[in-house]
Amino acid sequence: MGESALAAFGSKALEDFNNAGRCSRFIWRGLTGSFKNLFSARYYQLTWNQMNIIGVRSVPVIMVTGAFVGMTLAIQAYDQLAFMGLEERLGVLINISVVKELGPVLAAVMLAGRIGGALTAELGTMKVTEQIEAIRSMGTNPIRYLVAPRVMACLLLTPFLIIYADLLGIMGGFFVSVLQLGVNSGAYWSYSASGVEFWDLSIGVIKGFFFGGAIASISCYKGFHCREGAEGVGQACTEAFVASFISILALNFAMGLIFKAIYNTFWPLRVLL
Amino acid sequence: MADKNAIPKNREWNPDFVGIGVFIIICLMSKANQNQQDVSDETQQVCKDDGIIVMKNITKRFDHLLVLDNVSLAIEAGKTTVVIGPSGCGKTVLIKHMIALLRPSSGEIYFKGDRIDNLSENQLSKIRTSYGFLFQGGALFDSLNVKENILFPVKQHYKVTNHSGSDDLVKMKLAMVGMDGFQNYYPDKLSGGQKKRVALARAIALNPEVILYDEPTTGLDPIRADIINELILKLKSGLGHTSVVVTHDMKSAYKVGDRIIMLHHGKIIADGTAEHIKNHPHPKVQQFINGEVSEDDLAVLRMSGSDLRSQFLPRDFEE
Repeated sequence: MGESALAAFGSKALEDFNNAGRCSRFIWRGLTGSFKNLFSARYYQLTWNQMNIIGVRSVPVIMVTGAFVGMTLAIQAYDQLAFMGLEERLGVLINISVVKELGPVLAAVMLAGRIGGALTAELGTMKVTEQIEAIRSMGTNPIRYLVAPRVMACLLLTPFLIIYADLLGIMGGFFVSVLQLGVNSGAYWSYSASGVEFWDLSIGVIKGFFFGGAIASISCYKGFHCREGAEGVGQACTEAFVASFISILALNFAMGLIFKAIYNTFWPLRVLL
Repeated sequence: MADKNAIPKNREWNPDFVGIGVFIIICLMSKANQNQQDVSDETQQVCKDDGIIVMKNITKRFDHLLVLDNVSLAIEAGKTTVVIGPSGCGKTVLIKHMIALLRPSSGEIYFKGDRIDNLSENQLSKIRTSYGFLFQGGALFDSLNVKENILFPVKQHYKVTNHSGSDDLVKMKLAMVGMDGFQNYYPDKLSGGQKKRVALARAIALNPEVILYDEPTTGLDPIRADIINELILKLKSGLGHTSVVVTHDMKSAYKVGDRIIMLHHGKIIADGTAEHIKNHPHPKVQQFINGEVSEDDLAVLRMSGSDLRSQFLPRDFEE
């Protein structure tokens, strides 16, 4: 009993280790493929199409997400601050949270749901119907033809989508605070402007770069390695979303640590800028 | 004092290295055991220059499932070789090895005398333009129309500047399979037979030397199946292609095959002309080509028959 449990644990560990290795290699090939595609005009059209599908068509949902985040924050935080007579500081709280954390993370989660699922289902169906093998049989590298344009589109456009989410989050927070809750507009903006630095804005956008890369490469990996049949594709989509979501949260935490360390190290130099 | 501290540290590490070493040795030994061969009925020794495609002692496992068991095979140029066998016997796996879409667990594959199974995907891309592969379901790209599907391999390997020339090329390839006029259709609007014919047009778009057909007639009605057979014969006589056809349709096999090979449990059990196969003494071959059920299968059916008898009859429910 004990021995078989140990064997099961060992084989599971080996399998997970294998999968992790395969996934890393896939992501590496996807990233190098994207880089190589930059120098080959044949792939521009493909990347352009993916940018349209992934980026442009996500703008409305991303904007809605951002707006609701800002509006809800305003509603929730107002009472606490008003109790202490600090309601004019609402702007700092909302804008810092939106720009640094909630905007990027929720936008990325929205994207993971919207494009992650679509990418996995599309590539998974192509795998099941042998279309990926057909690409290989005609002497084309499916990583460069299918994965690289999608990874590139996600990498480049997620930061821009996050800017949209931030914009609508700031506007949503402003409208609810000023129009509905009656906070003084001038005080709201001046506190916001003094509290939110360019650094806060830029780390949110830099996070988007990593989130985009993680969403695209995980979704493409799951699509490329999905099992046969409708159930296999469905399961791959679920796994892709869960894995993207977890990696977004984990990356967010890791980047939070890293950016804090960078900020603390270079903070004294800020006066030089 | 510092030296004394250093020695035990090294000792702590040693058992791990020994363990890893033993593990590697065990892995190598189990690998060596897997490679042990046993000789099947009609397997011949082949040399890398025996044909346009040569497979030498190919063994393929998926996890622990043995699919191909030490298969050696040389495909002659300009001939049509048909691989027959029951479903799940490894026919598709065999044909995918010929173009290195799957890599063998052990053994070697040669194309025109050059080894291909150990090449990287990028090195293979040039070689694969000499092949056309017709997939079982066609595997047309659903996001592209018929014309774009046929131009796909052309655009991947050549810079297309002359667009009227590429239209002519598509027209010519479609005319060869009797599908001219369908250029702007998307694959989901085509029937099964039409999809296969368009897929065939795509497979021959780069004028390959070898065409591999994976179950070309499966799922088609007898007339459509015969159209595909005629196409295979036409391509062979007109352009002198080498063809490999994987099928379990015996009518098709007799019609198109210059040489028929039967695969059973991952081994070649019969190899020769249609006449040789028809008169082959092996019971499995006779059973397969005549489409007969084996005694074992019949016994299973009889068992389920006895189950039926034990079930309730309508009169059991009458009051």
